[in-house]
Amino acid sequence: MRSTQIARQERQAALHDGFLRYAGYKWLKIAGGISVFTILTYVLIDVTPRHNGGSWYGYTLGTIGVALILWLTALGVRKRTMTPGRWSLKAWTSAHVYLGLSLIVIGTLHTGFQLGWNVHTLAWALMMLVILSGLFGIAVYAALPTQLSTNRDQMTEAQMLEALRAIDRQLHEAAQPLTSDMAQVVQSSLDQDAFGGSAWNRLSGHYPRCATAAALDRVRVVTGPQADLGHDPLEKIDTLLDRKQAMLARLRRHLRLRALLEVWLYVHVPATIALLAALLAHIVSVFFYW
Amino acid sequence: MAFLLRTVSLTADGREIVRDRRIERAQLSVGRAAERDIHLPDLAIEPDHARIEQIGERRVLVRSVGTLGFTVDGRSVKRVEIDAAAGAELGFGGHRIMVGREGDATALTVRREAALSDAAEEKDETAIFSLSAKLPGKRPVAWALTVAILSLLLALPIISFAMRPAQDDRKIDQVVGDNAWSPGKLSDAHHALEQGCEACHVKAFVSVRDDSCKACHADAHDHAPPGRLAGARESPGIGGAFLQSVAHAFGKPGPGACVDCHTEHEGEGRMAATPQQFCADCHGTLKERLPDTALADASDFGTAHPEFRPRVQVAVGGDGRPTVRRVSLAERPKDANGLKFPHDMHLSGTNGVARMARTLGGEFGFGNALACKDCHKPTADGVRFLPVDMESDCQMCHSLAFDKVGGTVRTLRHGQPDQVVADLRAFYRSTDPAAPLELGGLGRRRPGLYAQGQVYNAYFGAGATRPGRADRAIATAFSDKGVCGECHVATTPAGGKGWGVMPVHQTARFLEKGWFSHAAHKTEKCESCHAAGKSTLASDLLLPDLKSCRTCHGGEGSGAKVATGCALCHNYHADDGAPWAVRRKAAQVQPASSWQHP
Repeated sequence: MRSTQIARQERQAALHDGFLRYAGYKWLKIAGGISVFTILTYVLIDVTPRHNGGSWYGYTLGTIGVALILWLTALGVRKRTMTPGRWSLKAWTSAHVYLGLSLIVIGTLHTGFQLGWNVHTLAWALMMLVILSGLFGIAVYAALPTQLSTNRDQMTEAQMLEALRAIDRQLHEAAQPLTSDMAQVVQSSLDQDAFGGSAWNRLSGHYPRCATAAALDRVRVVTGPQADLGHDPLEKIDTLLDRKQAMLARLRRHLRLRALLEVWLYVHVPATIALLAALLAHIVSVFFYW
Repeated sequence: MAFLLRTVSLTADGREIVRDRRIERAQLSVGRAAERDIHLPDLAIEPDHARIEQIGERRVLVRSVGTLGFTVDGRSVKRVEIDAAAGAELGFGGHRIMVGREGDATALTVRREAALSDAAEEKDETAIFSLSAKLPGKRPVAWALTVAILSLLLALPIISFAMRPAQDDRKIDQVVGDNAWSPGKLSDAHHALEQGCEACHVKAFVSVRDDSCKACHADAHDHAPPGRLAGARESPGIGGAFLQSVAHAFGKPGPGACVDCHTEHEGEGRMAATPQQFCADCHGTLKERLPDTALADASDFGTAHPEFRPRVQVAVGGDGRPTVRRVSLAERPKDANGLKFPHDMHLSGTNGVARMARTLGGEFGFGNALACKDCHKPTADGVRFLPVDMESDCQMCHSLAFDKVGGTVRTLRHGQPDQVVADLRAFYRSTDPAAPLELGGLGRRRPGLYAQGQVYNAYFGAGATRPGRADRAIATAFSDKGVCGECHVATTPAGGKGWGVMPVHQTARFLEKGWFSHAAHKTEKCESCHAAGKSTLASDLLLPDLKSCRTCHGGEGSGAKVATGCALCHNYHADDGAPWAVRRKAAQVQPASSWQHP
């Protein structure tokens, strides 16, 4: 009775655990063990004249490494089918993360620290790029969703867009009495694409040439020194532009956090495929000039 | 004269609402201000922007009032005349006005085309919030990288390798792109081959063979006959046998292939040293596998190395040829080199030798006593010593002079005992002297003439004694204290042979299986290894023993002052030169010509 109860508790706990702490860090322990074992053997086994990928030990690490890489890549296929249990996707992902990290040790010791400008080091560099981008991905997955949620303040993305549209409509309405040149200033803010800018703007959250900010500056030149008596339509424009800027800031924070959550995959996935190509070139070239 | 103003607007769900209004006037104003006839709430339009005038039955004039223009069928203008029946499209900011004719009136259909702001435009929400719009897709990037890597780093070298001429004597690299395959720089010795991978990697998927090495290194000696080598090699354990079978399965040569020891692509500089373990694998327990070998087991100079076995002359045969044998220094062998030479006497600082050295010092560069360097001169390479030479190294003291004619000193001929004997005989004139005049003629001879000091006595006495005095002089010269016998072992006349001396053999290299360079030991004094000052006999073998060497030298990786691998003294490829460990240090050692005794 007691054991089934414990089992049920464990099962429930497992359902709530993320892939990082899956099964009490089982895969962290396994991967850590593999890494420590590899480092110990590297130090203790005397390879002459010195460690490199071409010794028997180097070939062994290389074979383990390539098998591991192929298995890690298989997550791309595996993730498209979700299953529970011991071989659940969560278990698989947990193993993917920790065994992938142990590949830093296996792959690097395989090189014997003999790096150069060649196809072999290219494969190593791509491997490291894949692992480090994955590490970045885990870091942002651990840290950013809370920030994302806080920033959204219970708004959906559609609501953010609609809020922006509402401000724009009001701006358009309020700007009707303005002179041509001031109307142009407001129009420039209306014409601004809130989702524009480069990938770098997205990731950094800096938009130095923001038309709304420029428009507000122009309007403030007029509204700043004068008292707000409610007669000047520019006063309303000022308020609206201010609101738009606040809305844009929230939207841009949202876009930045989303971009950070997504960007690692734009490195991780293509670099993985490139790594497979580089591995093929690495292995074939070694045997070609055997 | 009337306008039919038709305003088209859209509901939130995209339905069109059309309102018609007839204005009985010849002129309409267009602008953003609410009081304009055609009120266009568009920030791109001036409050009072333009006028539309009916100027004929079908003619309509459109003109800007302010500085901003408008478009007619896409063209920017500030004033235009239009045939209303033919129709036209006017553009004011984000609004379009279609001009046409309906009945007697000019129809103006007004509709907003552009959204009032960018955000108001229709947007694909899943796309705009994602980073995907800002970055090249994962798939195209992955494909591009894959194609680039496989074509440049794999296909190009392989195709280039396959298409190179089969026989090409030009010394230029034929294979393009294979530099990217090199896992590391070649050693200095092979630096010239850096661009020519196919010089060693001759066939695709076939590992580097000894033939490739021997194409250049034709004079590399085998270490031992292949059969002996195979027998000497320690049989690998389970792990070793497994590794060997894997290596063979992948077509690796060996064991004993050139590349097993001479590993390449380890980076610039000198090729990595072959470790002592490589030798010890076989030589550590060689006797177990090759019981008939003359070699003693050795695996580490500091801990497991047999005593030196120099090649010494154990005896001199009847024909004067020495019998040579390798004897362990532990047996304290004597070297019968044929000389009598007490080192102690010559190196003493107090005896007659030292006195003589001081006398002759100015002329010959001696100090207060003789030193090793005064007799022993190094070879040009500084490795060994030249044989001591009588004429240049001994004769300044050990004079062979026996006569003086005028100002010329006559000397006996060194190395030619027969000539020595003849010269001495000639000196003592074994023939009778010329007869004195007194003995001729008819003069009466008196008895007193035979007395001592008289002519008869002098003449006949000389005739009787001369041959006897030469023999005595010769015997004296060859005796133990004589001019020859004091250094040489004399052979007395017998069996038809005259006087002679035992031939002298000065051994230049005692340790023929190992390399020893005196130049490399310049920092030491001679006496610290050779106990010459205490040696009384020339046959004393003054070689230092293993223990003496071990005061500085220990095995590879040991804490000794000089950690010594096998290759410092022994040569795997068994040629006459220095072992490679010595050769690689050659650049650091000063030229032999500067060799100076400390």
